[in-house]
Amino acid sequence: MEDLIAVPRGWIEAFGEIVKFCSKIVGEVFRLRAFRFFGETLRQAGILVVGSTLIIWGFVFIVGATCGLEGGYFNNQNGVPAYSGVFAAWCDLRELAPYAFGYMMAAKVGTGLVAELGSMRISDEIDALEVMGISGVTFLGATRLLAAWMVLPFMYLVSIGASFFASYLVSVQQLGYVSSGGFFVIFWEFQNPPDVLFSVIKAMAMATMIVLVGIYYGYHASGGPVGVGTATAKSMVLNLVGVHLIGMLGTQIFWGANPRAPIGG
Amino acid sequence: MVILTGKTIISAVRPPYSYGGEFAGQFMFALRLCWFPLLISTIAFGYEAPGLQAANFLTLFGALDRLGGFFVLASIREFAPFVDAIVLAGVAGTAITADLGARKIREELDALQVLGVDPVKSLVVPRFLALMLVTGLFDVYALLFGIFGGILATLINHAPIGPFFATLFNNADTTNLWGSVLKTTLFGAIIAIVCCYKGMTASGGAEGVGRAVNQAVVIAFMGIFAFNYAFTQVLLATHPEIVSVPR
Repeated sequence: MEDLIAVPRGWIEAFGEIVKFCSKIVGEVFRLRAFRFFGETLRQAGILVVGSTLIIWGFVFIVGATCGLEGGYFNNQNGVPAYSGVFAAWCDLRELAPYAFGYMMAAKVGTGLVAELGSMRISDEIDALEVMGISGVTFLGATRLLAAWMVLPFMYLVSIGASFFASYLVSVQQLGYVSSGGFFVIFWEFQNPPDVLFSVIKAMAMATMIVLVGIYYGYHASGGPVGVGTATAKSMVLNLVGVHLIGMLGTQIFWGANPRAPIGG
Repeated sequence: MVILTGKTIISAVRPPYSYGGEFAGQFMFALRLCWFPLLISTIAFGYEAPGLQAANFLTLFGALDRLGGFFVLASIREFAPFVDAIVLAGVAGTAITADLGARKIREELDALQVLGVDPVKSLVVPRFLALMLVTGLFDVYALLFGIFGGILATLINHAPIGPFFATLFNNADTTNLWGSVLKTTLFGAIIAIVCCYKGMTASGGAEGVGRAVNQAVVIAFMGIFAFNYAFTQVLLATHPEIVSVPR
């Protein structure tokens, strides 16, 4: 019985630790301490833009293509090929663009943060920072979070565009069940600005969670080079579960009771 | 990576088959690590993306019973395989890269070679086979729980679940199922090769292992989705009967 309780208790304790650490980082950003290191923040933002943008857009593009493919075939099967645009608008904007963004953020940025900060921890660089009187949480954690918040909304908006473009290419140019004009009429009919806003909120919630988890696991890595690898692997577990839960809650909150469609009552 | 794939397949079929114990160990390892994240992920995904959104859409037409038919497309053909592959790559794949990378850094792989043990045969082949098998099997698990998510979405809309099952079983066919299982088995092969390769070529001390895991999971995700697109396209184009009529 003791063993049975020990495992969930361990999880809850670890979760509490993570929440405590993350709220500290968020607090540092909101108390504007991170702005003391604004140069470092800009440098991190630059790394994010140069290193991760293309790969995230590419990934979202492939996922959008899959969406267009399934949508084209599904609507054709049900005798409404002209409505492929609904699939592009809903599947991309509401569900798969945030998911694909979250997956690739977790894979590229999240594990990258763990590897980077973890190796700093292992080679005692973080301790050296503390000795010099610079708070590691602020200098390493808060600046990265702020950089992510500065860059990611724009990166995400473009990646929505990438997924739309991919769906358009597949539905209209490759499958050809629907004309270009017909596709766009339905496509624009079935979305509106609040939908985009909700989608951005969903993706930003995922991105914030991923960056925080990455910083936590990197900051607390231990056990030599092996420890960094293990911490990186562990952060992925939490990230994937978190991305799916945030996706579910977001959909439930934003579209659960109101489909926001231009038809019906 | 292509060379590693070739070597792996050749040494998997060529006797002696000395990798049984390691294979079972890796299989159990992946199973233990992945079942819980996969459970949460597939229920969440099934409930919201195909469940809630499609139910919203179908409710507008008063045709919520068609949700079951939609789940054949959504869960069996598309979402269960890729959520399955994402979780396996993110959880088991990263663990494999971290494990092999650590061995590489500690020069255990070189030591194995000095002892005359082929690292491909003793380490890569069992992981390759175990991941293929476990990803294929988890696909069935994932689509069951994805459909459970759909049932939840139906119940949330206060609809009876009888029609859901009726359209589900009317639309479900073996082509979709074997396509799904075959697809995930190949996903497992991609994950295993990418993660083993990145782990075995890790270098550069503490940061090296972390960076290897990072690259492995990025390449695995890209590979999975690129392959997914190609496979779905081929499957749908070569089996027009599964997309020709609504049932």
